[in-house]
Amino acid sequence: MGREAVGAVARLMTALGKLPGIGPKTAERLTHYLIAARPEEVLELAEAVRAIKVEIHPCRQCFNPTEGDLCHICSDPRRDATVICVVEQPKDLMALERATSYRGLYHVLGGRLAPLESLGPEQLTVDQLLRRVQEGGVKEVIMATNPNLEGDGTALYVSSLLAPLGVKVTRLARGLPSGSVLEFANSQMLSDALEGRQTF
Amino acid sequence: MAAEKATALVLRTTDYSESSRIATLWTRELGKVRVLAKGGRRLRSTFESALDLLTVASIVLLRKSSGSLDLLVEARVVERFPRLTRDLKALYAAYYVAELLGDWTQENDPHPKLFDEALDALRTFGSPEVPTAARLLRFETVLLRELGYAPQTERCAVCRQTIPQASEQAFSAAAGGFVCPKCRNGRRGLVTVSRSAWQALRLLEGAEAEDAWKRIEPAEQKELRGLFNHYISYLLGRRPRTMLYLGE
Repeated sequence: MGREAVGAVARLMTALGKLPGIGPKTAERLTHYLIAARPEEVLELAEAVRAIKVEIHPCRQCFNPTEGDLCHICSDPRRDATVICVVEQPKDLMALERATSYRGLYHVLGGRLAPLESLGPEQLTVDQLLRRVQEGGVKEVIMATNPNLEGDGTALYVSSLLAPLGVKVTRLARGLPSGSVLEFANSQMLSDALEGRQTF
Repeated sequence: MAAEKATALVLRTTDYSESSRIATLWTRELGKVRVLAKGGRRLRSTFESALDLLTVASIVLLRKSSGSLDLLVEARVVERFPRLTRDLKALYAAYYVAELLGDWTQENDPHPKLFDEALDALRTFGSPEVPTAARLLRFETVLLRELGYAPQTERCAVCRQTIPQASEQAFSAAAGGFVCPKCRNGRRGLVTVSRSAWQALRLLEGAEAEDAWKRIEPAEQKELRGLFNHYISYLLGRRPRTMLYLGE
């Protein structure tokens, strides 16, 4: 990476090069773009980067990153507060929001139960979820953890703690994507779809 | 660089880049291997969902020279263990199996018997017929035997004399087995178990009928869990991360 670069230019190239998907050449290109860009544009970017670390913190209720006390979803009175969708990471919440079909609230666990990587329940926001349910008003908790062994294990663990609270616990369906064809579905998709078949 | 085929159990995966993944696989034919799965993070990769933890897959890999990762070129799901997603005890036992295989075996050192035993244990965990705790003890017994750490149960691990029948027996992790009353004197770190637990351990080793271990009572299972926790932690030089989840 730009051996000839020194000082602030070299620091910026190094910093950009640490971002996912950005290699040394892209880091160099972006650095030269920023050097040539208007000062307002560059300072706006710098301010946005600063704010994400200084002003963003987890929502008091659902742990989705927010600037206020409650995130925009938790503070929206039009959302259905009787349903909570449990996700591993904020990016999973954003993916579900893009689907635009869910109108309930969320709870971000902050990871998954992965004992092999020393990630235990104490590192997740499970206690806070249980408190939300215990406070009343919640009728259904949807487990939307990743569809892999650790995600399923996390859902199983959380469900086992929710079961005594008398709340309905469901999980996302899995199987064939809409608009696809059976011929190109892999064996796992087909087996999930068969297992989760519904009355027509 | 010839392609090799193997049947593998996925022990661990870590993200390597935006789209690739590094996987630790325990194979029947080649032992433990670490592979680079290019595109393994993509939803529509050629590996489909074969790189999920504790999945059995039929794989094709290109062996690289020493020091670099082998390249995974094909992986197809052969078997999954659905009970692990329905029974927490079964899932925790399976994580423990993965940790022991991953951390306690050497790369390129195959143990086909242990591979078959691990798969059978994963199939049985959570089944109503066999208690998961007993099945795990059986797996650990086979693992210890395969790795050369089978505990001495018949003869004193120190003086090699036959151990006399007694209401309690003393186990020394440092000596690698049970010790007779004479050799206990002054020996530190002994773990005492009941006579019935000692006999249950012999059942696990297959001293009687091959499946007699399935009849081990819960009290003996609990005692032997404590004994194995102690012995395996001693041998590894640390407590396995997933042991915490096994309970008593």
